[in-house]
Amino acid sequence: MRPVVWGVALFGVVARAAPAQEVSVGPHFALGDYREVTAGLHYLGTGGGGTLWARYHRFSAEASVVQLQFHPTTGSTPATAGFTATQVDAWLAYDVASYVSLEAGITRRTADPAFNAQSVGAVRAGARAFYGIGPGAMLVFRVNYLAAPSFTGGGRAPVALDLGLGLDVRLAGHVHGTAAYAFQRINRKVNPGGTGEVDAPIQETLARLGVAVGF
Amino acid sequence: MTRRVPALMLLAGLALPSRLGAQEAQNASLRRAQQAYDNLEYRQVVPFAQAALRERLTGSERARAYELMGFTYGAMDSILKAVDAFKQVVLIDPERQLDPDRTSPKAYSAFQVALGQVLLVRQLRIDSTSFVGGQGAVPIRFTVTQPARVITRAIGSAGTFLIDSGAWNGQVNLRWPLRLAGGDPVPAGTYTLVVDARLGQNTFSASRPIRVSYGSVDTLPHLTSLPGYQYLPETEVPPQSWRPVGLAFLYTGGALVGTVGLEGSNLGSTTGRELGIVGGAALVTGIVMMLRKPAAQPAEANILYNRLLREQLARRNEDIAKENLARRRQVQLTVVPLPKPAGTR
Repeated sequence: MRPVVWGVALFGVVARAAPAQEVSVGPHFALGDYREVTAGLHYLGTGGGGTLWARYHRFSAEASVVQLQFHPTTGSTPATAGFTATQVDAWLAYDVASYVSLEAGITRRTADPAFNAQSVGAVRAGARAFYGIGPGAMLVFRVNYLAAPSFTGGGRAPVALDLGLGLDVRLAGHVHGTAAYAFQRINRKVNPGGTGEVDAPIQETLARLGVAVGF
Repeated sequence: MTRRVPALMLLAGLALPSRLGAQEAQNASLRRAQQAYDNLEYRQVVPFAQAALRERLTGSERARAYELMGFTYGAMDSILKAVDAFKQVVLIDPERQLDPDRTSPKAYSAFQVALGQVLLVRQLRIDSTSFVGGQGAVPIRFTVTQPARVITRAIGSAGTFLIDSGAWNGQVNLRWPLRLAGGDPVPAGTYTLVVDARLGQNTFSASRPIRVSYGSVDTLPHLTSLPGYQYLPETEVPPQSWRPVGLAFLYTGGALVGTVGLEGSNLGSTTGRELGIVGGAALVTGIVMMLRKPAAQPAEANILYNRLLREQLARRNEDIAKENLARRRQVQLTVVPLPKPAGTR
C-alpha cells in the first residue's frame, strides 16, 4: 500500500506544478525478467502500470508504478511458484546542462508472497542524458546508483546499479508513445548463520511500453 | 567725325528699346518724337520730346519721353544730357531696367551713371515661402543705388515691426524671421513691407504688400517598416542528418554495453527481450526521424536581428511621436507677396 501512497503524493506535488510547464501521465504494459542468487532461479513476467512525468523549468519529476506476475521459466528448477512484484520508482531531477540532469529518487519492489522473492528498497542517485532526436521524440539514457539497499531477507549490497533507456515520441496532439528499459543489478551479499558472506545477487530487466497524455 | 555720326546714330537706332516701338503713345508730340527716333531723325527727336513734356502726360508717357531723349543724347554723344534724361526716367519709373545686350553701350553707361546719381530703392523682391515658425525666415532683396541709411519695416493692422536698419549700398539681402521680440510669430494678416532709404536730404521709399497666413504643421506618419530593412524568418529548417539514428544507436548501444557489463556469470545472461523491444523502438524512431523532414528550428541570429529591428522601429516611432507632439504646438507660416496697388511705387 505504501508505494501507492508515495505515488499519489508525488502526483499531487507535480500536478500542482503542472500549469507552469508540462505534465504527462499514462498507462503502460510491462515485461520483466527476474533472476536471483543463481542462474536457475529465473522468472519471466508480464504486467502493467502507469507513469507520471512532470517538468517545472529545470526541475523534473517522474514516478512509475508497475505490477508484474512473475512465473518460473521452464528451466528454473529451484523455483516452484511465481510471485507478484510491485515496483515503485520515483525520481526528482535537475537539469545541469541542456542535455544532462542529475537525479535522485527511490526504488522499491515488493514480492507477494513475500518468501518467493526478495523485496528490495533503495535510494537512487545518478544522472541521465536526454536528447531530442526529432520533433516530439526524446531519447533518455540513465545510470543510477542504488544506495543503502535493504532486503527482506537481509544482507547488504556494496554494488547496486540501475541502467535505463527511455523513448518518448509524440504520436498525435497530446498523445505520446513511451518505451522504457531498465536493467537492475544488485550484488547482494548475505551472511547466513555468521558463517561468512556469500553472494546472493539480484538481477532484473524491465521493459515498459505505453501511451501517455501530455498537458 | 562727320562720317561716324550717322553710323553711331544707326547703331543707337538698332538698340532702340522694343518697348518704345511696341507701345503706341497717345500724345501727338510724343508720337512724333517716337516716329522721328524710329526714322533715325535724331535732331527732331529732342524738340518733339520736349514739346510733349510741356503737355499733359501720364507717368509712363513722361518716362518714355525722357527715355527717348536719353537715347537720342546718347547717340549724339551728349552724355551729360543723356544722364540727366535717364535720371528723370528712373525717378518716374525706378524699376526701369535696360537690357545691356540690346542697348548701345553709350546709352547703357549713361543709364548706369544716372542710376548712381539718384537715390533709389529698386527691385524690392519678396519670395513666396512657407516655414515652421522659428525655423525659417522670409528672404527680402532690394537694391539701393547710393550709400544710404536704410530702414526696412513691415506695417500691418497688428502694428509696425522693424525688420532691419543699417547703412547699405547696392544689392541688399535681408531675412525676416516673422517673429516678435518674445519669440512668438507675428499675427497673421496683410502687411506692407516698406524700405526707406535716406541720404542727407534725399529720401526714397519702396514698398511691397505681403500676406502672412497661419497653418498647421504637417505631422509625420508612424513607420511600419524601416526602408531597406525587412524582417527575417525566425525559424529555419535544418538539413537532414544521420544524427537521430546515430543517437538512437549510441543510447541503445550504451544500454546494451551496460547490461552486458553488469550481468553476472552466476546469474546467466538476460534474454535480451526487454532491451530488444525498447532498443528496437528507439532505432526505428531514429530512422524515422532521420528520414523525416526536420522540424523548423528557431534561427537565433534572425530572432536577434528582428528584435533589433523592432526596437529600432519602436525608437523611431517614439521619436516621431515626440516630433509630432512638438509639431502640433507649432505653426506653419506662409508668406505670399501681393500685387502692388496701382499708382504706387
